[in-house]
Amino acid sequence: MKSRIFLGVIIIAIVVVFSSMFQVNEMEQAILIRLGKPVGKPIETSGLKFKMPIIDQVVKFDKRILEYDSEPKEIITKDKKNLVVDSYAKWKIKDPLKFLQTVNSYVGAQTRIDDIVYSELRQVIGKYTLIEIISTERENIMEIITKDSSVKLAEFGIELIDARMKRAELPKQNEENIYRRMEAERNEQAKKYRAEGQEISLQVKSNADKEKTIILAEAYKTSQNIKGEGDSKALQIYAEAYNKDKEFYRFVRTLEAYEKIFGEKNNNRMILSTETELFRVLSETK
Amino acid sequence: MADFNNPNFKKFINFVKKLGFLSIVIVLALYLLTGIYTVGPDEKAVVLTFGKYTKESNPGLNWYFPAPIGKVIKVKTTKVYREEIGFRTIDPGPPAKYQDKRTESLMLTGDENIVEIDFTVQYKINNVKKFLFNVKNQRKLVYDAAQASLRTVVGNSTLENILTIGKGEIQSQTQKKLQKLLDVYDSGISIVNIQLQDVQPPKEVLNAFKDVASAREDKVRYINEANGYRNDILPKARGEAEKLINEALAYKEKRIKEAEGDVARFLQLYEKYQLGKEVTKTRLYLETLEKVMPNVDKTIIDKNLDSGLLNIIDKGGITNEK
Repeated sequence: MKSRIFLGVIIIAIVVVFSSMFQVNEMEQAILIRLGKPVGKPIETSGLKFKMPIIDQVVKFDKRILEYDSEPKEIITKDKKNLVVDSYAKWKIKDPLKFLQTVNSYVGAQTRIDDIVYSELRQVIGKYTLIEIISTERENIMEIITKDSSVKLAEFGIELIDARMKRAELPKQNEENIYRRMEAERNEQAKKYRAEGQEISLQVKSNADKEKTIILAEAYKTSQNIKGEGDSKALQIYAEAYNKDKEFYRFVRTLEAYEKIFGEKNNNRMILSTETELFRVLSETK
Repeated sequence: MADFNNPNFKKFINFVKKLGFLSIVIVLALYLLTGIYTVGPDEKAVVLTFGKYTKESNPGLNWYFPAPIGKVIKVKTTKVYREEIGFRTIDPGPPAKYQDKRTESLMLTGDENIVEIDFTVQYKINNVKKFLFNVKNQRKLVYDAAQASLRTVVGNSTLENILTIGKGEIQSQTQKKLQKLLDVYDSGISIVNIQLQDVQPPKEVLNAFKDVASAREDKVRYINEANGYRNDILPKARGEAEKLINEALAYKEKRIKEAEGDVARFLQLYEKYQLGKEVTKTRLYLETLEKVMPNVDKTIIDKNLDSGLLNIIDKGGITNEK
């Protein structure tokens, strides 16, 4: 009988001891709830912890950076273009007690983050043009959104580390327009290259033709000059000699011409009078 | 009801007590034995005791207080992890099979064009404690932050730049940005490298881009052809010119030399002529006739038979008609 009671006490003691101890590991933080009310400060260190047995309940939350990945949403820019923005947020439970009292759970937190980040995103993006969002102001925009959202999220015990645009792209139908424009630009470029090639080609070829013509003309001019020199030199030589006796020259030159004219075997017919020099001897001897 | 005062029963109780003690010892020993674990050379292990970080153990045999008191988490620290963005390897092959993820790979450039980039991120765990305890979903973190980083960089470059000279530049800029983000998150991850696998215009406009490349080649070809033409005709023209001038020079020399020759001959004749003018003339005349006449058909008409025909001949074809 005694031993039974003893055994019972031991068992109860073990249960009590065990239920007054709990572990908090490096990845989590905990809050003690006593009969429905939180007690003490949130436990943010790790290790073996103690609580009131039975009546204290431990609620644990993650201490690590958590992620929130939104669905892509269409947002209108300042220059009235639609932009599909896919953003993400990295956040932490900063104040587990506040967190527990306001959003209560991860799902609740996700909803809050979604609301706040999205509305910030929509506001800020509406103030910038598409090209600013894509390039020059991108990081700036993210900083503004992070800053403004984190102030609002602090009320829920959430620390927003950063919110970022993972993707900011055009909707499908606008993509088509860009493709068409890109294509048109490329076609223009291709045309330009080919035309430039033809331009240079024509320049080079026509220049070559011109140079060729000039070279040949110059050569013609020079050669005619040279020939002329030859001719005039020859005439001068002839004139100098023949002027000594024009009469005799005419006689000799005529004879030469005879040779040239009648020298070849041809069908010349010559009608000679007996009066000619050749027959004078004949007639004289008559 | 059993009789508790039976001595046999007492013996039995004693036996149970002994056995109980022994079994407790055995159970305890077995429990402690389960705390032996090995750490491979390529990994590090973190030991938690009551949930608290106590140590990082080295490769080899180690021991920890088994669960529920202790906990060991092993992490491969030499391994290079890899994330694929814009595509997924379905089958590493060979031949490798990939699946395209166009929502991930299409992105806007700073000059409002669209480019398609597939890339991989390789990273290592450089701080096990941070890696395990600071971030919940590490892979997703790398994956998200990498996309955000690359798109920021691409958004700040022109398409032309990305497609031509900018590839290495984009890789290093993206790596810097991504590493900065991962440091902000204090994630214990270090990026080994970022590799742009495939950088292309979207397939919808690829042909237009290819045409530009071939247009560039065409341009070069046109120019080369023209230069070829030039190099063909000009030397020929120069040769032609040289030829003309040489012919002219030859002509000139020929004319002069011939004139000199003719004149020399004439002067010699002239010298003889001075000696006896009539005689020489007659001689020359007759010699010429001798040379010439044999080849000619001759009709000789006596002057005395003048029928008027000779008039015509004498007067060089001038008739009496007025």
